[in-house]
Amino acid sequence: MNLTIHPLIVLLFFPGGLFLMVSGLVFQWADRKLVARFQNRLGPRFLQPLADLLKLLAKEEIIPKGAHRGLFVALPIIALASALTAALYVPMFGIQPFYSFQGDLIVAIYLLSALTISLGLAGANSVNRFSLVGATRTLTQLFSYEAPFLLAMIGPALAAQSWQISKINAFAGETTWLIIAQPIGFLVALVGLMGKLELPPFDAPEAETEIVAGALTEYSGRGFALFRLSKDIELVIGLTLVAAFYLGGIANPLEFLLKTGGLLLVMALLQTAFARLRIDQTVGLWWRVGALMGLVQILAILVGIYIRQWWL
Amino acid sequence: MTFEQHGENRFIVPIGPQHPALKEPGHFEFVVDGEIVTGASVRLGYVHRGIEKGAEDRTWTQNLYLMERICGICSHIHATAFVQGVEKLAGVEAPPRARAIREIFAELERIHSHMLWLGVAAHEGGFDALFMYSWRDREVVMDMLEMLSGNRVHYSANLIGGVKYDVTPDMMDKIRDGLNYLEERLVHYLDVVNNDETFIGRTRGIGTMTREQAQLLGAVGPTARASNFAYDVRVDAPYAAYTEFPVEMVVAEEGDLHARFVVRILETMESIRVLRRIFDNMPESELVTRVPRRIPAGETISRVEAPRGELFYFISSGGGEKPERVKVRTPSLCNWGTVITLAVGHKLADMPMILAGIDPCFSCNDRLVMVKRNHHDPQLWTWADLRNYGIEYYR
Repeated sequence: MNLTIHPLIVLLFFPGGLFLMVSGLVFQWADRKLVARFQNRLGPRFLQPLADLLKLLAKEEIIPKGAHRGLFVALPIIALASALTAALYVPMFGIQPFYSFQGDLIVAIYLLSALTISLGLAGANSVNRFSLVGATRTLTQLFSYEAPFLLAMIGPALAAQSWQISKINAFAGETTWLIIAQPIGFLVALVGLMGKLELPPFDAPEAETEIVAGALTEYSGRGFALFRLSKDIELVIGLTLVAAFYLGGIANPLEFLLKTGGLLLVMALLQTAFARLRIDQTVGLWWRVGALMGLVQILAILVGIYIRQWWL
Repeated sequence: MTFEQHGENRFIVPIGPQHPALKEPGHFEFVVDGEIVTGASVRLGYVHRGIEKGAEDRTWTQNLYLMERICGICSHIHATAFVQGVEKLAGVEAPPRARAIREIFAELERIHSHMLWLGVAAHEGGFDALFMYSWRDREVVMDMLEMLSGNRVHYSANLIGGVKYDVTPDMMDKIRDGLNYLEERLVHYLDVVNNDETFIGRTRGIGTMTREQAQLLGAVGPTARASNFAYDVRVDAPYAAYTEFPVEMVVAEEGDLHARFVVRILETMESIRVLRRIFDNMPESELVTRVPRRIPAGETISRVEAPRGELFYFISSGGGEKPERVKVRTPSLCNWGTVITLAVGHKLADMPMILAGIDPCFSCNDRLVMVKRNHHDPQLWTWADLRNYGIEYYR
């Protein structure tokens, strides 16, 4: 779907900015609700994420001793900004991205990593021992899932012969769903997304029974709210990317809802089915299994492309 | 319990007194090198409630209710230990039916306690689905206890010389139905514990304790039995109706966290089996025998198997309406040493599970806070010293 809207409205309200934040909250609610239902709990009410956000925004932000003040305040804003910016290149809600250029896939993935790095820095910018351990784990996890996730994103890009998200999206919409041609890549991408979002069983960086809230232990009020919100937005972007690449593209809002919703359902199921992995187990899993699987997939695609060219 | 003085450049992760992993206050310090724990210490005493002292001011009957409140999870077994000691001093024995009912309550309590533990331990390992499901199913046994006594937590089933509540055939049928459901669920949980890959990754080979270590550190209960240390008061020194309705001891060889899960789940199933046997052969008799108000002078010890292990009571009577001294040693106290010993060499991420692996109960085991002061011999505190210290502390 193609819309012509004033750029300011695009950035601030729809489909960027405000609308993105609201959808982040909706997806957070859906995720929490699904996990709760799978665990035989009632789960939160629909407005709970919004209420949490407003309450946190209204609260006093305590800047702890020993932390760099500027960094402490800036990091949540950088995190939210990178998440919001990354969304501009992704066909959110089935609408063609308003900003698009050759190579924007790399930029979007980079911006999503910037979010995680700000999270790690936020933890390291503290003398709290839980924050420090959490920051170490966040960054360790970043180094473990990032490569396989990137490989899984490159797969469809190679198939589409383009580094532009909108072109890959269009390509995925024309051919058979890439999940059939590249099932390994899909699996790696989905699980990599869970690692990126620090969802169970990859929630070692914020394992509450070990290190309280991990890197965000010292955050309260506004900073915490912004970090939470940026993670929610990351969830929407991640789901959209995986759905656009592997589930036959996203051409209109209905497709967006169905496909991301379906993915979220699978992800919620995966979240409930396992015990938390230790950080060494996470790293082992990603480098021993995830990266290898990603490479095998890439190799298979390259061979496939070569054969096709040779055939024609 | 040692609280070590530590150097400047060691990275110490404190757990507690307030921490999401702990449901009760206790303080643990783990010295870590990266993620590896190289040292551990524990400090207890945040919830000392002065119950032993309080017991000296209450009559034998009033003390029943006080003792029950030592623990919220194993309340019945505390009252049973106390009552049995008092009955021994008074030279009476509870009627057979009363003893059978005591066993019924004790085993139902064990089921509820072990299921509660299963959930908590799974939660510490980040397996919230198991946590939610086991706590949902635990409600079944809580409902049974409520049906029997009207209470979910403090059943107050015991009286000196017997029990308060009868178990009618109607109730037995309802409990049988519930037990069938629970058994089915427990088979499923055993399957999860034995076969879930991620869960096994977090439990197998973690916190392994050999039989020798268990003996040396004085471990008790399921923690010791998981290390193949076969000791269960119900079997070795039967009380209540355990001679008529014996239980089979569950032991495991491995001694790791996984073995502790298996032992506790199998013990729960054994409880269900023994409950069925009791219901099939319920003895007929009075519920209470007469006990004099003044208990003859003397001293006795009373041992029972609480869900967490051997519970020990020392009761001294001066021949009056009140006890002279009641000393309680709860099973958690015996198991702390194992946590501190086993922690070293493991990852920080394993700490909550190792900690939860002994099924700790903090409030139960806090007795007296011994405060180290350099200019004072810590072993000798007179009443005046204690009083002074109290006044100084709160000034």
